[in-house]
Amino acid sequence: MANTKTKVKLTLLASDTYTTTVSSTPASKLPDVLEMDGPTLSNYVYNEKLAPLAQYVSSATLANATAGSLAEGTVAKKVYGLAMFDSALGIYGNKKLLDAAGIKYPTGLSDAWTADQFTADLGTLAAAHGGKALDIHEEYGLGGEWGSFAFSPILWSAGGGLITDNKSTGVMDSAASVKALNTLASWKPFIDSNADGKAFTGGRVALGWGGHWNYPDYSKALGADLVVMPLPNFGQGSKTGQGSWTWGIGAETKNGKAAGSFLDSLLNDKNVTAMTTANGAPPATKSALAMNTNYSPTGPLALFAEQLNKTCGNGPITTACVAVPRPVTPGYPVITSKFSSALSAIFGGADAAKSLGAAAKTIDQNYSDNSNYK
Amino acid sequence: MATVELRAASSARGTTTKVKKRKKFNSETLPGVLMASPALIGVIGFVALPFVVAIVLSFFNVRLNSVRPPIFFGIEQYVRLFTDPIYSVPFFRALVNNLSFAVVVVPVQTAIALALAILLNRKIRGIAFFRTLFFMPVVFPMALVTVLWRLILDRSDNGLLNSVVSFLTGGAVGAHDWLGSPTTAMGSVILLSIWQGVGFQMVIILAGLQEIPQERYEAAQLDRAGAWAQFRHVTVPGIRNTLIFVVLLTTILSFRVFDQVYILIRGAGLNQDATRTVLYQATVTIFDENNVGQAAAITVVFFIIVVALTLVQRRVLRQTSED
Amino acid sequence: MTASPPVAPVATPSVRESRPTPPTKSRRRVIRRPVRRSSTRAARRTRDYLLLIVLGILFVAPVYYLVVGSFKPAAEVLSGFAGFIPQHLSLENYRNVFASLSSDSTGYFLQFLGNSLLISVGIVGGGLIVNSMAAYSFARLTWRGRNGAFQFVVLLVIIPFEAVAVPLLYLLNPERNTLLVQILPFVANAFSVFLFYTFFLGLPKSVEEAARLDGLGAFGTFVRIVVPNSKPVFATVTILTFLTSWGQFLWPVLMVSDPTQRPLPLALSVFQSQQPVDWGAVFAFGTLLVLPVLVVFLLFQRYFVQSVAGSAVKG
Repeated sequence: MANTKTKVKLTLLASDTYTTTVSSTPASKLPDVLEMDGPTLSNYVYNEKLAPLAQYVSSATLANATAGSLAEGTVAKKVYGLAMFDSALGIYGNKKLLDAAGIKYPTGLSDAWTADQFTADLGTLAAAHGGKALDIHEEYGLGGEWGSFAFSPILWSAGGGLITDNKSTGVMDSAASVKALNTLASWKPFIDSNADGKAFTGGRVALGWGGHWNYPDYSKALGADLVVMPLPNFGQGSKTGQGSWTWGIGAETKNGKAAGSFLDSLLNDKNVTAMTTANGAPPATKSALAMNTNYSPTGPLALFAEQLNKTCGNGPITTACVAVPRPVTPGYPVITSKFSSALSAIFGGADAAKSLGAAAKTIDQNYSDNSNYK
Repeated sequence: MATVELRAASSARGTTTKVKKRKKFNSETLPGVLMASPALIGVIGFVALPFVVAIVLSFFNVRLNSVRPPIFFGIEQYVRLFTDPIYSVPFFRALVNNLSFAVVVVPVQTAIALALAILLNRKIRGIAFFRTLFFMPVVFPMALVTVLWRLILDRSDNGLLNSVVSFLTGGAVGAHDWLGSPTTAMGSVILLSIWQGVGFQMVIILAGLQEIPQERYEAAQLDRAGAWAQFRHVTVPGIRNTLIFVVLLTTILSFRVFDQVYILIRGAGLNQDATRTVLYQATVTIFDENNVGQAAAITVVFFIIVVALTLVQRRVLRQTSED
Repeated sequence: MTASPPVAPVATPSVRESRPTPPTKSRRRVIRRPVRRSSTRAARRTRDYLLLIVLGILFVAPVYYLVVGSFKPAAEVLSGFAGFIPQHLSLENYRNVFASLSSDSTGYFLQFLGNSLLISVGIVGGGLIVNSMAAYSFARLTWRGRNGAFQFVVLLVIIPFEAVAVPLLYLLNPERNTLLVQILPFVANAFSVFLFYTFFLGLPKSVEEAARLDGLGAFGTFVRIVVPNSKPVFATVTILTFLTSWGQFLWPVLMVSDPTQRPLPLALSVFQSQQPVDWGAVFAFGTLLVLPVLVVFLLFQRYFVQSVAGSAVKG
């Protein structure tokens, strides 16, 4: 990311505190260029902390952004954020262990596990191999953004969701959502707590619920035994998350031009490819994506590319689309924190209907206290 | 007991300085005010004023650093806190958690501290070494204690406690999710908190024990008092004031629990419902909902409870100590 | 042995009383008595030592686990009893702490250490000056409003910092991510004032009065006469304040998001939440975090113990 002309202060924030920082840092104290998780961008814009990018970055850079990058970075038809990479979520499998237990595993989106079959297979795998079968990266903290990113797809797949038209009650706590999280909680006995981060690479479990960023490590550890599969289908087709960290320019920047040219160079093929090579992510620029071999139709992560191609965008979630961006709304910080803490409580044994109901009502109250963020 | 001594002290002072009072008044006013003012300004600015601000904020719908101005909310935040289930249920749960923490920790930690202190109040070789051992965790910051115990209590077979249990029972008892299970989550928090804090109380009690004149024990022995009788009639009365202080201190500290709960809930799958404390609730209300007004209301209620408990407890303890 | 616990000697008289023995045997009993006494004592002592050792092991086990783990390969830290076995030791974890904390976006270990030191020194140093001066003014100087001011400070002892953290966050948010905002709120401390106050009251007045008669002002008397004679209370306040400031967590969580301004405990909690987590390095970080305090504690443990005890006895 060398750039001789511009000196930029970059701040990376711990995953459990970054939404906090978003809402509590005064605009005047924000750096010129900042990186944020996509769904929080809308809240930045609402609090007038970001500048529209069109005035600073080149039109070529804007034109090269993937649809996912633009969808995530656009508020009220203005682009405020551009991403270097998108994200993908799926189930990694250890072929050797799956075969040893006689598990028939999916080869693509069309034959994704049903939730029931997945539950049954977890039992079989656990019985065959040391009592545990699945890693869901509990060590990331289910009560943080990981919980929302990794498990809102099962809500969508079940026909539930997080929020619709500024209302969460009836969506997050719908029967479908409750059922999906109850299923997740029922897997707990088969889940390795993964405190050392090595449950999957160390062969303790056959399945890993993970993101694209796990791919480099996993493929190194398992080689040809690594298989990439879609998340289980809870009824409305397999769904997955999308969207990742995105770059914006502080609203009160005095170095807008320099910040813009920094983003131009950050988003060139060389830098994007260097980044995605390191973290295994799908590039969020068209040109870098075209060059990427991992995500080509014959590459090992073709499934992830296919999922992102079949994006639901910001439109309705149908059985046909797969990748669902997290809700683009200034209230996202409260949605994610309430949902993930309910998720974590349910995983710990709390009543799903009650927990989700309370979370949904709190979110609705927050929206009404903030005049629906209008 | 602090205030008792204070009052006695200042009245004693009053009588001795009365004679010189008038004469010294002028010459000491300037240095007196100058010397007291930095601390006074500090406590006013960083304790008293914020406390008043907390009360004011609790009457507003206000967000941190928002472009939208605060909206006057009346007592809405309090009404919600006590009557609206989406706020009152978690809030009361947090209160109950704080209470159950205190109800267990105060007697248990005091009892352990007392037992350790009695054990250490002997002139046998190596006692200083053991005192150091028991006191050592006190110098460990809670953040570190938590990270350390998080691994000890890990729910996998590899967790230290799980391996110990499995070893002791010959593998009959499998791995338990100490932090995640609602039945043991609070117990786990209590365990690590006591490990860290008991040395502090122990040392205070030990100092109290050493103040007891040896003659009292000798007299009790002449009266043929047994060990238990000596403990009841010599040891306990001898350190009554110390014990009162320790109970008071432990109670107040146990209402301020935050660090361990925050770290464990955020990163180690600690069962939130069973362990969320009032301070955690206030923090989350700001972090997750950016709802400063609500958090301020929680803070005010928290304060009232702590003060009320302190006053009630002082009164009760003062009465018993005067018996 | 005079201070040794009372239980053992008592046993003998009660035995003697409960078993009235014919005078012929009394002689033998007299001989046996010291024997029995010392044997119960020895048994008691063995029991006490056993108890102490068992408890000592329980208390020290987590510390041992931390220190040994900091030298072990990360994979062995969380692997049951293997975490206890001192094998495959190396400095690798310590190297990893410094290697993985090596940019502005992660912060640097030495920077965290420096922050923590500056914050603690600021709070302790500033606190000693400010609070002892105020206490002296309350204890010895006569001025209008003094009693009211002192009662006010005593009243504030009851307000825990946690009760004002939320409004302070609101008031000081524009100053977030600075060291100053981590120091200033903690310098003036009502409880420290109170500790100083009770100590100063207990000092004999005669020396001060002589100094005042010699023409030394109130401040001069305080600096030259009172402070040098008040080492115990200064030590107490130093230690108590240092322990709390070094472990400070809630306020940094609320106030510090810039990695370069983090104190050690917050940095540790961030470090252990980073993925993939390296427990060996986390333990090395933890060891480094506690090492300075531990060394100071082991060197001056007598003072630590006295301070803590003193804070109670004085209060």
